[in-house]
Amino acid sequence: MSGAARLPQAFAELEPFVDSWGSHTTAGRLAARCERSMDEIRVFYEAMCARAEEAIGYVDRFGLDDLPDDARNLMALVLGLAQAHVAIEIHGQPRAPGTPWPNSIRIARGLPFLG
Amino acid sequence: MNITASARAFEGKTAFTEACGLGTGPVPLEPYRSPEFFERERVQVFERAWLLVGREEEIPAYGDYFSTELLPGGVSAILNRGKDGRIRAFYNTCSHRGSQVLDGPTGNARRIVCPYHNWTYAADGDLISIPDEASFFAVDKKRCGLTQMATETWEGWIFVNLQRQPEVDLRTFLGDFADRLAGVPYVAADKPIVLKADLDANWKVVQDAFIESYHIPAIHKKTIAQTFSSSENRFARLLDARTFGPHRTVSMYGNPTMPLDERNKVEMLAYASGDTGSLIAAGTSSQMAEFLDHPAVNPTRAGCWSMDVNNLFPNTQIDFGPGGFWVHQFWPLTPTTSRYEVRFYVPDALNARQRLQQELYVARVIEVVLEDLANVARTQRGINSSGKDEMQLQDSEVGIRHSVEQLLKWVEAETVTEALA
Ligand code: FES
Ligand SMILES: [Fe+2]
Repeated sequence: MSGAARLPQAFAELEPFVDSWGSHTTAGRLAARCERSMDEIRVFYEAMCARAEEAIGYVDRFGLDDLPDDARNLMALVLGLAQAHVAIEIHGQPRAPGTPWPNSIRIARGLPFLG
Repeated sequence: MNITASARAFEGKTAFTEACGLGTGPVPLEPYRSPEFFERERVQVFERAWLLVGREEEIPAYGDYFSTELLPGGVSAILNRGKDGRIRAFYNTCSHRGSQVLDGPTGNARRIVCPYHNWTYAADGDLISIPDEASFFAVDKKRCGLTQMATETWEGWIFVNLQRQPEVDLRTFLGDFADRLAGVPYVAADKPIVLKADLDANWKVVQDAFIESYHIPAIHKKTIAQTFSSSENRFARLLDARTFGPHRTVSMYGNPTMPLDERNKVEMLAYASGDTGSLIAAGTSSQMAEFLDHPAVNPTRAGCWSMDVNNLFPNTQIDFGPGGFWVHQFWPLTPTTSRYEVRFYVPDALNARQRLQQELYVARVIEVVLEDLANVARTQRGINSSGKDEMQLQDSEVGIRHSVEQLLKWVEAETVTEALA
Protein backbone atom coordinates (compact mmCIF):
# COMPACT_ATOMS: atom_id res chain seq x y z
CA MET A 1 0.00 0.00 0.00
CA SER A 2 1.39 3.38 -0.97
CA GLY A 3 0.12 5.10 2.14
CA ALA A 4 -1.86 7.59 0.07
CA ALA A 5 -4.93 8.82 1.92
CA ARG A 6 -8.11 7.07 0.90
CA LEU A 7 -10.42 9.03 3.17
CA PRO A 8 -11.04 12.78 3.45
CA GLN A 9 -8.35 14.40 5.63
CA ALA A 10 -10.74 15.05 8.53
CA PHE A 11 -11.41 11.31 8.88
CA ALA A 12 -7.77 10.18 8.73
CA GLU A 13 -7.98 8.16 11.96
CA LEU A 14 -10.42 5.77 10.22
CA GLU A 15 -7.87 4.79 7.53
CA PRO A 16 -7.01 1.47 9.26
CA PHE A 17 -10.62 0.30 8.72
CA VAL A 18 -10.75 0.93 4.97
CA ASP A 19 -9.28 -2.45 4.08
CA SER A 20 -11.30 -4.44 6.60
CA TRP A 21 -14.72 -2.76 6.57
CA GLY A 22 -14.70 -0.47 3.54
CA SER A 23 -15.68 -2.95 0.82
CA HIS A 24 -17.74 -1.36 -1.96
CA THR A 25 -20.25 -4.23 -1.92
CA THR A 26 -22.78 -5.38 0.65
CA ALA A 27 -21.47 -8.94 0.26
CA GLY A 28 -17.93 -7.77 1.08
CA ARG A 29 -19.04 -5.92 4.21
CA LEU A 30 -21.14 -8.91 5.28
CA ALA A 31 -18.10 -11.16 4.96
CA ALA A 32 -16.05 -8.65 6.98
CA ARG A 33 -18.40 -9.09 9.91
CA CYS A 34 -18.86 -12.86 9.59
CA GLU A 35 -15.11 -13.48 9.53
CA ARG A 36 -14.23 -11.35 12.56
CA SER A 37 -14.29 -11.79 16.30
CA MET A 38 -16.61 -9.79 18.52
CA ASP A 39 -13.63 -7.80 19.83
CA GLU A 40 -12.57 -6.77 16.33
CA ILE A 41 -16.11 -5.85 15.41
CA ARG A 42 -16.46 -3.74 18.53
CA VAL A 43 -13.28 -1.75 17.82
CA PHE A 44 -14.69 -0.73 14.43
CA TYR A 45 -18.16 -0.13 15.84
CA GLU A 46 -16.95 2.27 18.52
CA ALA A 47 -14.51 4.15 16.29
CA MET A 48 -16.97 4.50 13.43
CA CYS A 49 -20.00 5.38 15.53
CA ALA A 50 -18.00 8.24 17.05
CA ARG A 51 -17.61 9.84 13.60
CA ALA A 52 -20.69 8.54 11.77
CA GLU A 53 -22.91 11.60 12.14
CA GLU A 54 -20.09 13.82 10.78
CA ALA A 55 -19.38 11.31 8.00
CA ILE A 56 -23.02 11.39 6.88
CA GLY A 57 -22.89 15.19 6.88
CA TYR A 58 -19.69 15.15 4.83
CA VAL A 59 -21.08 12.72 2.23
CA ASP A 60 -24.29 14.70 1.87
CA ARG A 61 -22.35 17.76 0.70
CA PHE A 62 -22.15 15.86 -2.57
CA GLY A 63 -24.85 13.87 -4.39
CA LEU A 64 -24.70 10.12 -3.79
CA ASP A 65 -24.22 9.54 -7.52
CA ASP A 66 -21.49 12.16 -7.71
CA LEU A 67 -19.11 11.28 -4.88
CA PRO A 68 -15.35 11.85 -5.06
CA ASP A 69 -13.37 8.66 -4.33
CA ASP A 70 -12.47 9.58 -0.76
CA ALA A 71 -16.09 10.38 0.15
CA ARG A 72 -17.20 7.14 -1.48
CA ASN A 73 -14.73 5.19 0.67
CA LEU A 74 -16.05 7.02 3.72
CA MET A 75 -19.64 6.14 2.78
CA ALA A 76 -18.64 2.48 2.46
CA LEU A 77 -17.42 2.63 6.06
CA VAL A 78 -20.74 4.16 7.16
CA LEU A 79 -22.48 1.21 5.49
CA GLY A 80 -20.09 -1.14 7.28
CA LEU A 81 -21.92 -0.06 10.43
CA ALA A 82 -25.02 -1.94 9.25
CA GLN A 83 -23.03 -5.16 9.60
CA ALA A 84 -21.50 -4.15 12.93
CA HIS A 85 -25.09 -3.42 14.03
CA VAL A 86 -26.09 -7.02 13.26
CA ALA A 87 -23.38 -8.41 15.54
CA ILE A 88 -23.43 -5.83 18.36
CA GLU A 89 -27.05 -4.70 18.49
CA ILE A 90 -28.91 -7.85 17.42
CA HIS A 91 -27.10 -11.13 17.99
CA GLY A 92 -24.55 -10.23 20.68
CA GLN A 93 -22.18 -12.46 18.71
CA PRO A 94 -20.68 -12.20 15.21
CA ARG A 95 -23.33 -14.35 13.47
CA ALA A 96 -26.88 -15.55 14.11
CA PRO A 97 -26.85 -18.54 16.49
CA GLY A 98 -26.75 -21.89 14.71
CA THR A 99 -26.20 -20.44 11.25
CA PRO A 100 -23.34 -21.63 9.02
CA TRP A 101 -20.48 -19.56 7.57
CA PRO A 102 -19.87 -19.59 4.71
CA ASN A 103 -23.49 -20.13 3.68
CA SER A 104 -25.40 -20.51 0.43
CA ILE A 105 -27.03 -17.06 0.36
CA ARG A 106 -25.89 -15.02 -2.63
CA ILE A 107 -26.65 -11.38 -3.30
CA ALA A 108 -27.47 -11.89 -6.97
CA ARG A 109 -28.33 -8.22 -7.48
CA GLY A 110 -27.42 -5.65 -4.82
CA LEU A 111 -28.50 -2.08 -4.18
CA PRO A 112 -27.46 0.19 -7.05
CA PHE A 113 -25.02 2.31 -5.02
CA LEU A 114 -22.24 0.49 -3.08
CA GLY A 115 -24.51 -2.57 -2.94
CA MET B 1 -59.81 -2.16 14.24
CA ASN B 2 -57.76 -0.42 16.89
CA ILE B 3 -55.02 -1.99 18.95
CA THR B 4 -57.18 -2.52 22.03
CA ALA B 5 -59.93 -4.26 20.11
CA SER B 6 -57.53 -6.60 18.37
CA ALA B 7 -55.71 -7.33 21.62
CA ARG B 8 -59.00 -8.64 22.94
CA ALA B 9 -59.52 -10.67 19.77
CA PHE B 10 -56.39 -12.72 20.46
CA GLU B 11 -57.75 -13.94 23.77
CA GLY B 12 -60.22 -16.19 22.00
CA LYS B 13 -59.63 -18.59 19.18
CA THR B 14 -59.52 -17.83 15.47
CA ALA B 15 -61.45 -19.97 12.97
CA PHE B 16 -59.78 -19.37 9.62
CA THR B 17 -59.42 -23.04 8.73
CA GLU B 18 -63.15 -23.74 8.91
CA ALA B 19 -63.98 -20.40 7.27
CA CYS B 20 -61.78 -21.41 4.31
CA GLY B 21 -63.71 -24.68 4.04
CA LEU B 22 -60.73 -26.84 4.95
CA GLY B 23 -60.61 -29.96 7.10
CA THR B 24 -58.91 -29.97 10.49
CA GLY B 25 -57.23 -33.40 10.51
CA PRO B 26 -53.52 -34.20 10.25
CA VAL B 27 -51.82 -33.52 6.87
CA PRO B 28 -49.56 -36.03 5.04
CA LEU B 29 -45.77 -35.57 4.95
CA GLU B 30 -45.17 -37.87 1.99
CA PRO B 31 -45.37 -34.96 -0.52
CA TYR B 32 -42.39 -33.42 1.29
CA ARG B 33 -40.00 -36.35 0.73
CA SER B 34 -41.27 -38.75 -1.93
CA PRO B 35 -39.41 -38.91 -5.29
CA GLU B 36 -42.62 -40.21 -6.93
CA PHE B 37 -44.64 -37.27 -5.68
CA PHE B 38 -41.86 -34.91 -6.78
CA GLU B 39 -42.07 -36.22 -10.32
CA ARG B 40 -45.86 -35.95 -10.48
CA GLU B 41 -45.68 -32.45 -9.02
CA ARG B 42 -43.22 -31.45 -11.75
CA VAL B 43 -45.45 -32.68 -14.54
CA GLN B 44 -48.89 -31.92 -13.13
CA VAL B 45 -48.18 -28.65 -11.34
CA PHE B 46 -45.06 -26.91 -12.65
CA GLU B 47 -45.62 -27.87 -16.28
CA ARG B 48 -49.29 -26.76 -16.19
CA ALA B 49 -49.58 -23.76 -13.86
CA TRP B 50 -48.75 -20.18 -14.84
CA LEU B 51 -45.38 -19.34 -13.27
CA LEU B 52 -44.34 -15.82 -12.33
CA VAL B 53 -40.94 -14.86 -13.77
CA GLY B 54 -40.53 -11.09 -13.35
CA ARG B 55 -41.90 -7.62 -13.92
CA GLU B 56 -42.44 -5.58 -17.08
CA GLU B 57 -40.32 -2.72 -15.70
CA GLU B 58 -37.26 -4.97 -15.87
CA ILE B 59 -37.37 -4.92 -19.68
CA PRO B 60 -38.65 -1.44 -20.60
CA ALA B 61 -37.03 -0.99 -24.04
CA TYR B 62 -36.86 -2.76 -27.41
CA GLY B 63 -34.30 -5.58 -27.15
CA ASP B 64 -34.17 -5.66 -23.34
CA TYR B 65 -34.18 -9.21 -22.02
CA PHE B 66 -33.72 -11.33 -18.95
CA SER B 67 -33.23 -15.05 -18.82
CA THR B 68 -34.56 -17.38 -16.18
CA GLU B 69 -34.36 -21.02 -15.29
CA LEU B 70 -37.67 -22.74 -14.73
CA LEU B 71 -37.13 -25.50 -12.26
CA PRO B 72 -37.46 -28.39 -11.59
CA GLY B 73 -37.24 -29.15 -15.32
CA GLY B 74 -34.24 -26.84 -15.64
CA VAL B 75 -35.91 -25.16 -18.63
CA SER B 76 -33.97 -22.06 -19.66
CA ALA B 77 -36.24 -19.28 -20.90
CA ILE B 78 -35.70 -15.79 -22.35
CA LEU B 79 -38.14 -12.96 -21.77
CA ASN B 80 -37.69 -9.93 -24.01
CA ARG B 81 -39.38 -6.89 -25.51
CA GLY B 82 -39.77 -6.70 -29.28
CA LYS B 83 -39.66 -3.77 -31.69
CA ASP B 84 -43.46 -3.75 -31.47
CA GLY B 85 -43.25 -3.24 -27.69
CA ARG B 86 -44.62 -6.71 -26.99
CA ILE B 87 -43.15 -8.99 -24.33
CA ARG B 88 -42.35 -12.48 -25.59
CA ALA B 89 -40.94 -15.62 -24.02
CA PHE B 90 -38.69 -18.10 -25.83
CA TYR B 91 -37.05 -21.38 -25.04
CA ASN B 92 -33.35 -20.51 -24.86
CA THR B 93 -32.46 -23.03 -27.56
CA CYS B 94 -30.95 -22.46 -31.01
CA SER B 95 -32.67 -23.92 -34.07
CA HIS B 96 -29.33 -25.07 -35.45
CA ARG B 97 -27.87 -27.52 -32.91
CA GLY B 98 -29.57 -26.49 -29.76
CA SER B 99 -27.10 -24.21 -27.98
CA GLN B 100 -28.46 -21.64 -25.57
CA VAL B 101 -28.61 -18.43 -27.59
CA LEU B 102 -28.30 -15.96 -24.71
CA ASP B 103 -25.93 -16.39 -21.78
CA GLY B 104 -26.27 -13.52 -19.34
CA PRO B 105 -29.06 -12.99 -16.83
CA THR B 106 -30.02 -9.57 -18.30
CA GLY B 107 -29.07 -7.32 -21.20
CA ASN B 108 -30.17 -5.75 -24.46
CA ALA B 109 -30.15 -7.68 -27.74
CA ARG B 110 -32.12 -6.36 -30.72
CA ARG B 111 -30.45 -9.14 -32.67
CA ILE B 112 -29.99 -12.43 -30.84
CA VAL B 113 -26.79 -14.06 -32.11
CA CYS B 114 -26.17 -17.66 -31.10
CA PRO B 115 -22.59 -17.87 -29.77
CA TYR B 116 -21.94 -21.32 -31.34
CA HIS B 117 -22.15 -20.62 -35.13
CA ASN B 118 -23.69 -17.14 -35.22
CA TRP B 119 -27.20 -17.98 -36.35
CA THR B 120 -28.98 -14.66 -35.90
CA TYR B 121 -32.54 -14.00 -34.74
CA ALA B 122 -34.65 -10.85 -34.49
CA ALA B 123 -36.05 -9.83 -31.10
CA ASP B 124 -39.41 -11.31 -32.15
CA GLY B 125 -37.69 -14.69 -32.60
CA ASP B 126 -37.60 -14.81 -36.42
CA LEU B 127 -34.46 -16.35 -37.88
CA ILE B 128 -32.72 -13.65 -39.91
CA SER B 129 -29.52 -15.20 -41.13
CA ILE B 130 -27.48 -18.39 -41.32
CA PRO B 131 -23.73 -18.09 -41.96
CA ASP B 132 -22.80 -20.10 -45.10
CA GLU B 133 -26.43 -20.86 -45.76
CA ALA B 134 -25.48 -22.29 -49.19
CA SER B 135 -23.94 -25.35 -47.54
CA PHE B 136 -27.22 -26.30 -45.84
CA PHE B 137 -29.99 -28.26 -47.51
CA ALA B 138 -32.77 -25.78 -48.23
CA VAL B 139 -33.46 -24.85 -44.60
CA ASP B 140 -36.92 -23.32 -44.31
CA LYS B 141 -35.92 -20.19 -42.34
CA LYS B 142 -39.56 -19.33 -41.62
CA ARG B 143 -39.90 -22.51 -39.59
CA CYS B 144 -36.62 -22.01 -37.74
CA GLY B 145 -37.37 -19.09 -35.47
CA LEU B 146 -36.84 -19.43 -31.73
CA THR B 147 -39.55 -21.55 -30.12
CA GLN B 148 -42.01 -19.35 -28.30
CA MET B 149 -43.18 -20.10 -24.79
CA ALA B 150 -46.64 -19.02 -23.67
CA THR B 151 -46.43 -15.73 -21.77
CA GLU B 152 -48.96 -13.25 -20.40
CA THR B 153 -48.82 -10.28 -18.07
CA TRP B 154 -51.10 -9.17 -15.27
CA GLU B 155 -50.66 -5.95 -13.26
CA GLY B 156 -47.09 -5.68 -14.55
CA TRP B 157 -46.16 -9.23 -13.53
CA ILE B 158 -44.88 -11.49 -16.29
CA PHE B 159 -45.89 -15.16 -16.25
CA VAL B 160 -45.00 -18.12 -18.48
CA ASN B 161 -46.67 -21.47 -19.00
CA LEU B 162 -44.86 -24.60 -20.10
CA GLN B 163 -47.91 -26.01 -21.87
CA ARG B 164 -47.39 -25.26 -25.56
CA GLN B 165 -51.08 -24.37 -25.76
CA PRO B 166 -52.10 -23.41 -22.19
CA GLU B 167 -55.42 -24.98 -21.23
CA VAL B 168 -56.51 -21.84 -19.40
CA ASP B 169 -55.40 -18.24 -19.81
CA LEU B 170 -53.66 -16.36 -17.01
CA ARG B 171 -56.80 -14.45 -15.99
CA THR B 172 -58.74 -17.69 -15.54
CA PHE B 173 -55.86 -19.18 -13.58
CA LEU B 174 -55.76 -16.18 -11.22
CA GLY B 175 -59.55 -16.05 -10.86
CA ASP B 176 -60.87 -13.93 -7.96
CA PHE B 177 -57.37 -13.29 -6.72
CA ALA B 178 -56.79 -11.01 -9.72
CA ASP B 179 -59.79 -8.89 -8.71
CA ARG B 180 -58.65 -8.61 -5.13
CA LEU B 181 -55.17 -7.44 -6.10
CA ALA B 182 -56.22 -5.26 -9.05
CA GLY B 183 -54.68 -1.80 -9.01
CA VAL B 184 -52.10 -2.29 -6.27
CA PRO B 185 -49.36 0.26 -7.10
CA TYR B 186 -45.92 -1.36 -7.15
CA VAL B 187 -43.43 1.34 -6.16
CA ALA B 188 -39.83 1.19 -7.47
CA ALA B 189 -40.62 -2.03 -9.33
CA ASP B 190 -37.73 -1.56 -11.76
CA LYS B 191 -35.05 -2.04 -9.11
CA PRO B 192 -35.12 -5.43 -7.49
CA ILE B 193 -32.49 -6.48 -4.98
CA VAL B 194 -32.19 -10.23 -5.51
CA LEU B 195 -31.01 -12.77 -2.96
CA LYS B 196 -30.72 -16.47 -3.81
CA ALA B 197 -29.95 -19.53 -1.75
CA ASP B 198 -29.87 -23.24 -2.47
CA LEU B 199 -31.42 -25.03 0.46
CA ASP B 200 -31.40 -28.57 1.82
CA ALA B 201 -35.17 -28.83 1.98
CA ASN B 202 -38.12 -29.61 -0.26
CA TRP B 203 -39.46 -26.38 -1.78
CA LYS B 204 -42.69 -26.72 0.24
CA VAL B 205 -40.81 -26.91 3.55
CA VAL B 206 -39.32 -23.53 2.65
CA GLN B 207 -42.55 -22.00 1.34
CA ASP B 208 -44.41 -23.15 4.46
CA ALA B 209 -41.91 -21.27 6.63
CA PHE B 210 -42.95 -18.03 4.92
CA ILE B 211 -46.72 -18.39 5.21
CA GLU B 212 -47.07 -18.75 8.96
CA SER B 213 -45.95 -16.42 11.74
CA TYR B 214 -46.26 -19.10 14.46
CA HIS B 215 -42.51 -19.84 14.23
CA ILE B 216 -41.37 -16.24 14.48
CA PRO B 217 -41.20 -15.86 18.29
CA ALA B 218 -39.13 -19.07 18.46
CA ILE B 219 -36.85 -18.94 15.40
CA HIS B 220 -36.45 -15.19 14.96
CA LYS B 221 -36.29 -14.23 18.61
CA LYS B 222 -33.74 -11.44 18.26
CA THR B 223 -34.28 -10.36 14.67
CA ILE B 224 -38.03 -9.85 14.11
CA ALA B 225 -40.01 -11.43 16.98
CA GLN B 226 -40.72 -7.98 18.42
CA THR B 227 -42.30 -6.95 15.15
CA PHE B 228 -44.62 -9.94 14.77
CA SER B 229 -45.75 -10.69 18.31
CA SER B 230 -46.41 -8.90 21.59
CA SER B 231 -47.79 -9.57 25.05
CA GLU B 232 -51.30 -9.30 23.53
CA ASN B 233 -50.52 -11.83 20.82
CA ARG B 234 -47.69 -13.96 22.11
CA PHE B 235 -47.92 -16.62 19.42
CA ALA B 236 -48.27 -14.24 16.48
CA ARG B 237 -51.78 -15.38 15.56
CA LEU B 238 -53.06 -14.26 12.19
CA LEU B 239 -55.28 -11.25 11.57
CA ASP B 240 -56.91 -12.78 8.51
CA ALA B 241 -56.72 -15.69 6.06
CA ARG B 242 -58.63 -16.29 2.83
CA THR B 243 -58.38 -18.62 -0.12
CA PHE B 244 -59.04 -17.87 -3.79
CA GLY B 245 -59.09 -21.09 -5.78
CA PRO B 246 -55.53 -22.43 -5.53
CA HIS B 247 -54.20 -19.06 -4.27
CA ARG B 248 -54.35 -17.67 -0.75
CA THR B 249 -53.61 -14.67 1.41
CA VAL B 250 -52.85 -14.33 5.11
CA SER B 251 -52.51 -11.10 7.04
CA MET B 252 -50.08 -11.05 9.94
CA TYR B 253 -50.20 -9.23 13.24
CA GLY B 254 -47.41 -6.82 14.13
CA ASN B 255 -46.12 -3.69 15.72
CA PRO B 256 -46.41 -0.84 13.24
CA THR B 257 -43.24 0.88 14.44
CA MET B 258 -39.92 -0.45 15.56
CA PRO B 259 -39.17 0.42 19.20
CA LEU B 260 -35.83 2.21 19.20
CA ASP B 261 -33.33 1.26 21.90
CA GLU B 262 -31.16 4.24 22.81
CA ARG B 263 -28.20 1.99 23.55
CA ASN B 264 -28.16 0.89 19.92
CA LYS B 265 -26.02 3.57 18.33
CA VAL B 266 -26.44 2.46 14.73
CA GLU B 267 -30.19 2.08 15.02
CA MET B 268 -30.37 5.59 16.51
CA LEU B 269 -28.07 6.95 13.82
CA ALA B 270 -30.29 5.54 11.07
CA TYR B 271 -33.75 6.16 12.47
CA ALA B 272 -33.68 8.69 15.30
CA SER B 273 -34.51 11.55 12.95
CA GLY B 274 -38.02 10.10 12.49
CA ASP B 275 -39.17 8.28 9.35
CA THR B 276 -38.77 4.94 11.11
CA GLY B 277 -41.49 3.25 9.09
CA SER B 278 -41.12 -0.32 10.21
CA LEU B 279 -38.41 -2.81 10.81
CA ILE B 280 -39.12 -4.24 7.41
CA ALA B 281 -39.49 -0.91 5.66
CA ALA B 282 -36.94 0.70 3.43
CA GLY B 283 -39.12 3.20 1.59
CA THR B 284 -40.45 6.40 3.10
CA SER B 285 -43.98 6.72 4.44
CA SER B 286 -45.06 9.32 1.90
CA GLN B 287 -44.27 7.06 -1.08
CA MET B 288 -46.33 4.35 0.50
CA ALA B 289 -49.57 6.25 1.15
CA GLU B 290 -51.30 5.15 -2.04
CA PHE B 291 -50.07 1.59 -1.67
CA LEU B 292 -51.24 1.37 1.94
CA ASP B 293 -54.64 2.72 0.93
CA HIS B 294 -55.40 -0.27 -1.28
CA PRO B 295 -58.08 -2.55 0.26
CA ALA B 296 -55.94 -5.68 -0.25
CA VAL B 297 -53.09 -4.15 1.75
CA ASN B 298 -53.67 -4.68 5.49
CA PRO B 299 -57.19 -5.92 4.62
CA THR B 300 -58.53 -5.84 8.18
CA ARG B 301 -57.22 -2.28 8.61
CA ALA B 302 -55.52 -3.39 11.81
CA GLY B 303 -53.45 -0.87 13.74
CA CYS B 304 -51.15 -3.74 14.63
CA TRP B 305 -50.26 -5.14 11.23
CA SER B 306 -46.88 -6.38 10.03
CA MET B 307 -47.45 -7.87 6.58
CA ASP B 308 -49.68 -9.77 4.15
CA VAL B 309 -48.56 -12.87 2.30
CA ASN B 310 -50.22 -13.24 -1.10
CA ASN B 311 -49.41 -16.75 -2.18
CA LEU B 312 -49.83 -17.29 -5.92
CA PHE B 313 -50.07 -20.99 -6.63
CA PRO B 314 -47.81 -22.84 -6.81
CA ASN B 315 -44.55 -21.19 -5.72
CA THR B 316 -44.72 -17.39 -5.51
CA GLN B 317 -45.47 -15.03 -2.65
CA ILE B 318 -46.06 -11.33 -3.25
CA ASP B 319 -45.82 -9.81 0.22
CA PHE B 320 -47.09 -6.42 1.35
CA GLY B 321 -45.73 -4.54 4.35
CA PRO B 322 -45.72 -0.98 5.72
CA GLY B 323 -42.64 -0.28 3.58
CA GLY B 324 -43.80 -1.72 0.27
CA PHE B 325 -43.81 -5.11 -1.42
CA TRP B 326 -41.36 -7.96 -1.94
CA VAL B 327 -41.48 -11.35 -3.62
CA HIS B 328 -40.40 -14.80 -2.52
CA GLN B 329 -40.14 -17.75 -4.90
CA PHE B 330 -39.50 -21.38 -4.10
CA TRP B 331 -38.22 -23.58 -6.92
CA PRO B 332 -37.92 -27.37 -6.62
CA LEU B 333 -34.49 -28.83 -7.40
CA THR B 334 -34.78 -32.40 -6.07
CA PRO B 335 -37.24 -34.02 -3.64
CA THR B 336 -35.16 -32.68 -0.73
CA THR B 337 -33.46 -29.55 -2.11
CA SER B 338 -34.74 -26.28 -3.53
CA ARG B 339 -33.75 -22.84 -4.70
CA TYR B 340 -35.05 -19.85 -2.79
CA GLU B 341 -35.18 -16.38 -4.34
CA VAL B 342 -36.30 -13.15 -2.75
CA ARG B 343 -36.66 -9.81 -4.49
CA PHE B 344 -36.97 -6.51 -2.68
CA TYR B 345 -37.91 -3.34 -4.46
CA VAL B 346 -36.25 -0.26 -3.05
CA PRO B 347 -36.40 3.33 -4.32
CA ASP B 348 -33.13 5.18 -4.94
CA ALA B 349 -31.70 6.58 -1.73
CA LEU B 350 -31.79 10.37 -1.73
CA ASN B 351 -29.09 10.87 0.88
CA ALA B 352 -26.53 9.06 3.01
CA ARG B 353 -28.85 8.35 5.92
CA GLN B 354 -31.51 6.78 3.70
CA ARG B 355 -28.84 4.65 2.10
CA LEU B 356 -27.77 3.49 5.56
CA GLN B 357 -31.41 2.62 6.38
CA GLN B 358 -31.55 0.50 3.23
CA GLU B 359 -28.32 -1.24 4.18
CA LEU B 360 -29.69 -2.01 7.63
CA TYR B 361 -32.82 -3.40 6.02
CA VAL B 362 -30.90 -5.70 3.67
CA ALA B 363 -28.52 -6.76 6.45
CA ARG B 364 -31.41 -7.74 8.72
CA VAL B 365 -33.30 -9.54 5.98
CA ILE B 366 -30.25 -11.69 5.32
CA GLU B 367 -30.07 -12.61 9.02
CA VAL B 368 -33.76 -13.58 9.04
CA VAL B 369 -33.30 -15.73 5.94
CA LEU B 370 -30.26 -17.38 7.54
CA GLU B 371 -32.33 -18.28 10.57
CA ASP B 372 -34.99 -19.81 8.30
CA LEU B 373 -32.35 -21.61 6.25
CA ALA B 374 -30.93 -23.43 9.26
CA ASN B 375 -34.47 -24.25 10.35
CA VAL B 376 -35.69 -25.73 7.05
CA ALA B 377 -32.69 -28.05 6.75
CA ARG B 378 -33.38 -29.35 10.26
CA THR B 379 -37.06 -29.83 9.37
CA GLN B 380 -36.26 -31.74 6.19
CA ARG B 381 -33.90 -34.11 8.02
CA GLY B 382 -36.67 -34.81 10.52
CA ILE B 383 -39.20 -35.48 7.77
CA ASN B 384 -36.76 -37.72 5.86
CA SER B 385 -36.28 -39.99 8.88
CA SER B 386 -39.82 -41.38 8.29
CA GLY B 387 -40.51 -41.25 12.00
CA LYS B 388 -43.72 -39.41 11.17
CA ASP B 389 -46.15 -39.71 8.28
CA GLU B 390 -48.25 -36.66 9.05
CA MET B 391 -48.12 -33.22 10.60
CA GLN B 392 -50.48 -31.43 12.98
CA LEU B 393 -51.47 -27.95 11.84
CA GLN B 394 -53.05 -25.18 13.90
CA ASP B 395 -55.34 -22.40 12.74
CA SER B 396 -52.53 -19.91 11.99
CA GLU B 397 -50.98 -22.54 9.71
CA VAL B 398 -54.05 -22.56 7.49
CA GLY B 399 -51.96 -21.46 4.49
CA ILE B 400 -49.93 -24.66 4.68
CA ARG B 401 -53.04 -26.81 4.90
CA HIS B 402 -54.50 -25.11 1.85
CA SER B 403 -51.23 -25.42 -0.06
CA VAL B 404 -51.04 -29.20 0.46
CA GLU B 405 -54.74 -29.63 -0.34
CA GLN B 406 -54.34 -27.77 -3.64
CA LEU B 407 -51.15 -29.58 -4.65
CA LEU B 408 -52.82 -32.97 -4.07
CA LYS B 409 -55.75 -31.79 -6.16
CA TRP B 410 -53.55 -30.62 -9.06
CA VAL B 411 -51.49 -33.80 -8.99
CA GLU B 412 -54.66 -35.89 -9.34
CA ALA B 413 -56.58 -33.68 -11.77
CA GLU B 414 -56.55 -34.71 -15.43
CA THR B 415 -57.05 -31.19 -16.69
CA VAL B 416 -56.25 -27.73 -15.37
CA THR B 417 -59.93 -26.87 -15.55
CA GLU B 418 -60.65 -29.80 -13.25
CA ALA B 419 -57.84 -28.69 -10.91
CA LEU B 420 -59.33 -25.19 -10.74
CA ALA B 421 -62.93 -26.38 -10.28
S1 FES C 1 -26.07 -24.06 -32.30
FE1 FES C 1 -26.68 -22.02 -32.57
S2 FES C 1 -25.62 -21.44 -34.36
FE2 FES C 1 -25.06 -23.52 -34.14
FE1 LIG D 1 -39.02 -17.32 9.23
